[in-house]
Amino acid sequence: MDGPLPLVLLVASLLFAAVVLVYVVLDRTPDWGLLGFAAVIEALTLVLLVVAAVQVGGVDLSGGRLVTLFGYLVAGLVLLPIGFVWSLAERSRGATAVLMVAGLAQAFVVVRVMQVWPS
Amino acid sequence: MSRAAASTSSGLGRALVAVYGVFALAATARSLVQLATKAGEAPLAYALSAVAALVYVAATLGLAEVGPNPRRLAWAAVGFELVGVLTVGTLTVLDPELFPDATVWSDYGAGYGWLPLVLPFVGIAWLWHTRARD
Repeated sequence: MDGPLPLVLLVASLLFAAVVLVYVVLDRTPDWGLLGFAAVIEALTLVLLVVAAVQVGGVDLSGGRLVTLFGYLVAGLVLLPIGFVWSLAERSRGATAVLMVAGLAQAFVVVRVMQVWPS
Repeated sequence: MSRAAASTSSGLGRALVAVYGVFALAATARSLVQLATKAGEAPLAYALSAVAALVYVAATLGLAEVGPNPRRLAWAAVGFELVGVLTVGTLTVLDPELFPDATVWSDYGAGYGWLPLVLPFVGIAWLWHTRARD
């Protein structure tokens, strides 16, 4: 995939998970800042999905790998929203840590997208 | 002093449910892609992937306290998961040809950072920790 977008998204997802870890350690509950950070990642993931859809015609991707690619991209769109819904229903360190799980899973999704995309 | 069972989806359990949820999502998606695109290539491995996906979904729902008897569902799923990862892990180490395509439990889950091996132990410990006591 052309451009730095996947790498930016990967770094942002890992950074998000690291920030959540700080929140968990300090026993702080998620705030608007964290939600805004997640919204930026969500928007970038949507852009990545559109870029992939536009560029996919020009690369060699067979049926199974094509389904895998867009499966991961769609998963990347739902991870953080579901994570926030599950996390915000409770106020506890464990509930905040849910967002860390979501951030790491998001990073994993981006890595897999980069691997599946033919270079 | 007796104490009712604690919630399995509260506190630390909330994060555990999230991890199980990610595995349920990943295993289900992987299984659907395998069955839809190349079911005939490695039927045993792909059937196993589907079973693993169901086990993760059941464990997620059980620990998240969905359904009529979630604790029993969680115990059954996490127990099956432990037996599954140990059995499939051992078989794949002894005979790598048995499953031509990797499953989540191959080589004790080494392809997934050993998490599939660690998870059932954490799940059982958590169910034990939150059990009713008398």
